[in-house]
Amino acid sequence: MAATTGQGRGFTTFLVGLTLACVGIAYFSSGFGKPVFAIGLIIFVISLFGFLKIKPLEGKPAMNASPAVMKALGAFLAAFGWVITLFGMHVTDGTTGRIVLALVGIAVSLIGMIFVLPTAFNKNAIWKA
Amino acid sequence: MNLIRRCCLILCLVALGVSISAVAHGQAAAPVAAPTTAAAPPSAAELKDAAAKAPTTDQLKAGDPGGSITGTINDVAPSDPKVGLTSGDVANQVGQNKLGINFTWTLVCGFLVMFMQAGFAMVESGLCRVKNANHTYMMNFFVYGCGLLAYWLIGFAIQMGGAAGNSNLGGLQPLSSEHPLTLFGKTWGIFGGSGMFLTGHTYDVGVMVIFLFQMVFMDTALTIVTGACAERWKFLTFSVSSVLMGAFTYPIFANWAWGAGWLSQLGSNVGLGHGYADFAGSGVVHSVGGVTALAVALIVGPRIGKYNRDGSSNPIIGHDISAVLIGCFILAFGWFGFNPGSTLGASANGNLRIGSVAVNTMLAGCTGTFGALLYMWALKGKPDASMSGNGLLAGLVAITAPSGFVNPVNSCIIGLIAGVLVCLSCSFVENVLKVDDPVGAISVHGANGLWGVLSVGLFADGTSNYGGSWNGVTGSVTGLFYGDASQLAAQLVGISTLLGFVFTFSFLLNWMLEIFVGHRVSAETEMAGLDIPEMGQLGYPEFVFRAEPETMTAAHAMAVA
Repeated sequence: MAATTGQGRGFTTFLVGLTLACVGIAYFSSGFGKPVFAIGLIIFVISLFGFLKIKPLEGKPAMNASPAVMKALGAFLAAFGWVITLFGMHVTDGTTGRIVLALVGIAVSLIGMIFVLPTAFNKNAIWKA
Repeated sequence: MNLIRRCCLILCLVALGVSISAVAHGQAAAPVAAPTTAAAPPSAAELKDAAAKAPTTDQLKAGDPGGSITGTINDVAPSDPKVGLTSGDVANQVGQNKLGINFTWTLVCGFLVMFMQAGFAMVESGLCRVKNANHTYMMNFFVYGCGLLAYWLIGFAIQMGGAAGNSNLGGLQPLSSEHPLTLFGKTWGIFGGSGMFLTGHTYDVGVMVIFLFQMVFMDTALTIVTGACAERWKFLTFSVSSVLMGAFTYPIFANWAWGAGWLSQLGSNVGLGHGYADFAGSGVVHSVGGVTALAVALIVGPRIGKYNRDGSSNPIIGHDISAVLIGCFILAFGWFGFNPGSTLGASANGNLRIGSVAVNTMLAGCTGTFGALLYMWALKGKPDASMSGNGLLAGLVAITAPSGFVNPVNSCIIGLIAGVLVCLSCSFVENVLKVDDPVGAISVHGANGLWGVLSVGLFADGTSNYGGSWNGVTGSVTGLFYGDASQLAAQLVGISTLLGFVFTFSFLLNWMLEIFVGHRVSAETEMAGLDIPEMGQLGYPEFVFRAEPETMTAAHAMAVA
């Protein structure tokens, strides 16, 4: 089974929820902004659980589960590299020092992105079976 | 042996680049002409005299084939007809003309960028198999609507809600609510707040122009992801993911770079050159799209049959190379809106550099094509068409950030390197990372977008003058090779943010969607082709499908088992 009416209704609900939430944010300071935001958020969350409900009906994709901890580690390293760069701007005033720390940050991010994450996703890859 | 040959070719290309670079350095900057003394405003008598000399109605009735009497003082309307034309009226008309030129320029360039969607659709669909043509075209079609809606709802406000101050478009004063964060004693812009639904005080002529222009840029970033995930991405998840990217991922980084956010303040706050400088969006548009494409392609996984059990890859050939190359030309045409349009005007504030920006764009695209074509021809034996097209796009992507700051020779170097880089990156992504990217989007837009951002910090020659300052720092953006290493530092911070923040944010967002919605179609749907199961009709109903090669059917059996 592929595209279905359930998906179409779910996506419509998702858009309605997002739109109402945005209306709520736009008029948050006025009287009706907060309740509209809350209603939008609720509809938004309902749409996500609606997606979750119809997900098993859509057939098994050609992929296996991959280790979540390793994926989280990859994402963490990618973000941590950025943190190194940000703090590097403030721990030194020299341009060379900032460049070096930025390069270290980029390297750490790249380790997460192109070493840890692909390793995680390829660990149980379907083509290895 | 192959490695030695490859190294030799790369060395030759680098040597060519260095020799061209020497020529670039040899170009002397033109002497700056002394400013002329401003003329006094016309007196009432002079205006009256000019009005008297203007052509009469009878003269105009006779027609003006030479165009010499149309457009005179008679076409300037006095604010008070009883008083007649004043110097104030003339000055106001001059201001209106300036903004009229800039509005028209920006809008027309925005229309060109919008047309790039057609190019993306043709390139991506042409590089996919015929059984997925409708699905791939539909993703490229519908991403426009998803992005536009999300951007109108909230994305534009996050990105440009605090971007007031652009005199090219009348100041954009309604967009003046950037939410700041004070850190280490400095105030940094984090996200904007004005402009949701374009209502209230943002119902403004200038805001409408910047909305249209920025919206089509955002949509370009979104459509990059569809290429990397083509042939197996569930249409529902693509739609949800695109809406969220248009609402949050893209606007947040675009605010930091273009909307008075903290990256643009690196120069004024901590003395890093002119802050993060990205003239037309190698980073903001292409790298954001490219790193998001990598994040989603990792999650969605490779197509059935792409990899063998030993990890070697199988080529999966696209169905229409003519569509690919025509699509590339459409994209190259649209890029003349993308880069020169990013001046946001054609009148005043150094905007006459638009010619230089356009020439830089076409030159980098040219050398990008050469870089990729020669690399493939010399090392693989054939001037590969799809890789040549990707070389053109890589050159264009790379020149997007520096196009407003570099000279033509440096543009050629940037494009040439991009053309080689796209070949190396495609091979790396496919064979080392084992990430399946059917169209090479991660390499074309991600890798070369980052190269473009970096090249500003290296090649910016310090001759641009967009109103005398950039990101609030007086003077011209100048790179390492022209004396300012701190600009390189600012660019590296931008690159780190693209990798560390944008990638991680995109990855986590799409990981959440994987849990709730699931990114990938079923194995049966993938083997049948996505056109019928996902879209309900074939892209080419009268085509006779060839049977899949044995590697595919065997892989399918494995996947289903």
